[in-house]
Amino acid sequence: MRSTLSLKDRFSRWLPRLVLSPSLVAIIVGVYLFIAWTGWISLSSSKMVPKYDFVGLEQYIRLWSTPRWETAVANLFVFTVLFLAITIAIGLLIAILLDQQIRAEGFLRAVYLYPMALSFIVTGTAWKWILNPDLGIEKVVNDLGWTGFVFDWITRPEYAIYCVVIAAVWQSTGFAMAIFLAGLRGIDTSIIKAAQIEGASLPRIYLNIIVPMLRPAFLSVIVLLSYISIKSFDLVLALTGGGPGNATEMPSTFMFSATFRRNQMGVGAASAMMMLMTVAAIIIPYLYSELKEARNEH
Amino acid sequence: MKLITLLAASISLLPVAAMAESKGTVEGIHHWVSESEVNALKVITDKLASKGYTWQDSAVGGLSGANALQALRTRLAAGNPPTTMQFLGYEGLDWAKEGVLRSLNDLYAKNGWDKALAPQLLAFVKSDDTFISLPINMHRQNWVWANKAVFDKAGIAEPKSWDELIAAGDKLKAAGVVPLAIGDEPWQILEVFEAIVTDVNGTEFYKKAVIDLDEAALSSDQMVDAFDKLRKVRGLVDDGFTGRDWAVATGMVASGKAGMQIMGDWAKGEFLAKGMKPGEDFLCFPTPAATANFKFIIDAFGVFNNDDPAVIAAQDAWAESIMDPEVQKNFNKIKGSIPARSDVSVEDFDACAKRSFADREAAVASGNMVGGLTEGFAAPPQFSGVFSDVVGKFFVTDMSSKDAVQALVDGIKNAR
Repeated sequence: MRSTLSLKDRFSRWLPRLVLSPSLVAIIVGVYLFIAWTGWISLSSSKMVPKYDFVGLEQYIRLWSTPRWETAVANLFVFTVLFLAITIAIGLLIAILLDQQIRAEGFLRAVYLYPMALSFIVTGTAWKWILNPDLGIEKVVNDLGWTGFVFDWITRPEYAIYCVVIAAVWQSTGFAMAIFLAGLRGIDTSIIKAAQIEGASLPRIYLNIIVPMLRPAFLSVIVLLSYISIKSFDLVLALTGGGPGNATEMPSTFMFSATFRRNQMGVGAASAMMMLMTVAAIIIPYLYSELKEARNEH
Repeated sequence: MKLITLLAASISLLPVAAMAESKGTVEGIHHWVSESEVNALKVITDKLASKGYTWQDSAVGGLSGANALQALRTRLAAGNPPTTMQFLGYEGLDWAKEGVLRSLNDLYAKNGWDKALAPQLLAFVKSDDTFISLPINMHRQNWVWANKAVFDKAGIAEPKSWDELIAAGDKLKAAGVVPLAIGDEPWQILEVFEAIVTDVNGTEFYKKAVIDLDEAALSSDQMVDAFDKLRKVRGLVDDGFTGRDWAVATGMVASGKAGMQIMGDWAKGEFLAKGMKPGEDFLCFPTPAATANFKFIIDAFGVFNNDDPAVIAAQDAWAESIMDPEVQKNFNKIKGSIPARSDVSVEDFDACAKRSFADREAAVASGNMVGGLTEGFAAPPQFSGVFSDVVGKFFVTDMSSKDAVQALVDGIKNAR
């Protein structure tokens, strides 16, 4: 069998593996090796510099006894759920509307996608000024005449996290819209025509036929938006600085301040491992179910 | 061909010729990036240049020095430390424990610098019996900066106690000005809180509660009372204080929109830059205390272990530049602080600096000089962080004083 394969065939079989191997090595070292290192540090008593001893789950106990961490975790869940739901809903709506063969589609697409080009620091700072009661929306509306209008969410510890949601949704809706638009474009128009012949109304067509066909697009959007949500360190820092008080603390800002500013590297590493476990617990089953179906379809 | 070879050879000699001018390089990591800080640093580096060494600047700004500390950690891990590094708070002592700092005992002994420094300061430049860093300046963090016109109009004199200060704030509120300009960043609020704790209860209580972290002191009635006072101060703040930078708050006082600000003496530069004069346009006085105290913050430079004698000579020149009395005087004139050395006269400094100097002398004599908590000169960062969290949360929510004290005690226990 082997002798019938020419050298060229063998080489072309191995070429993809050869080309991918540097990236694979880089990922294994740069990502998984350092994940393992962080896990080890989270089981040590590291404070300012890494110490390679073993203290069991002491850092995790310390982590969960910190009220700031509980605030951070609660904030992460609230933020992620709201951010994902609202961004996907608005992004899908805009994509469907843009898909209707309208005139200025290219221009509108660019307009909606522009916020994505800004760094989160710019978004955070701009929205900090917009949401400030003395400078932004509240002042403008008051000056226009509605003197009873109040919009001081950013100053209230209970509502500040929703301000972070607003800024993040504004930034990422265009991105969700772009992915959904690409997915919509890839749908065969003959299916829609067949449904219209059967007498289905347009909303019905969208809800029952097209949206389920966008499953791959949903997968991409959810994975990428969740990644943005977990990563939202610079947005929180620029928008509220973690405040008022600790009201908008997120696991990422907690990890940063514990490791680099409070000389509690062990607690920071433990919080990073907790973030990883949370993300893995959600993404891995989701990926598995999506990819299993994809394999079944073949 | 010969000409080309000659030219090439002479060109390759040029860098050597340039290096022969300088006896060596001092590379330093620090976080002074604003204009006045850079100008102040130039005073030291000019002195270094006059000794024949070149200064290689590795400034890493941002996050009040956290980024610079990260840069240092990376360099040390790579085995390539800079020649010198700026330390804040306990950083110098922490690195000394890791054994990477060079002992400065010989320099201190030769020049007698230990006699020129206040004894309370020595705790931060000396690790056990080894001198490990060189302080250049001393800031004071509990100043009250007030707009003189606003105070005169409301008929307020310099308050002599915190109750008087709060009453003055109420008068200002009635007059239609914002009584206290502040931002919601936890460190700004902590500066006010620790001023209350020390001024009302004395430095002995402060040492027990904040430095020794004694649980009985932390859960005492005096702490509850301090939180009560902080709650009253909260009533003196306007609603738009979220996300306000400390310099913007200083601007509010300078323009007359607000009556006073409680901030360290780095705020003085903002007034001076606007052309305002102490005593005429703005007032400066320490937060009112029953017994006068002095809360200090210092910037100190340490040098790292190195075997190369040329590097050691460069480090010696750097050390001597920092501790030179003329350099200390000129540096601090620009920076707004007072010299770390107690024997450098502040005759030609402004009125606020002169008051600071006199207060320091008195505090050293009476034993009431302590390190500031907010900037890391009382409790180490893992504990000062707990204070920062609890006080910051207390200020922006309607947490009760008793809950705050309980949160403080639990947090300190958790961070041990």
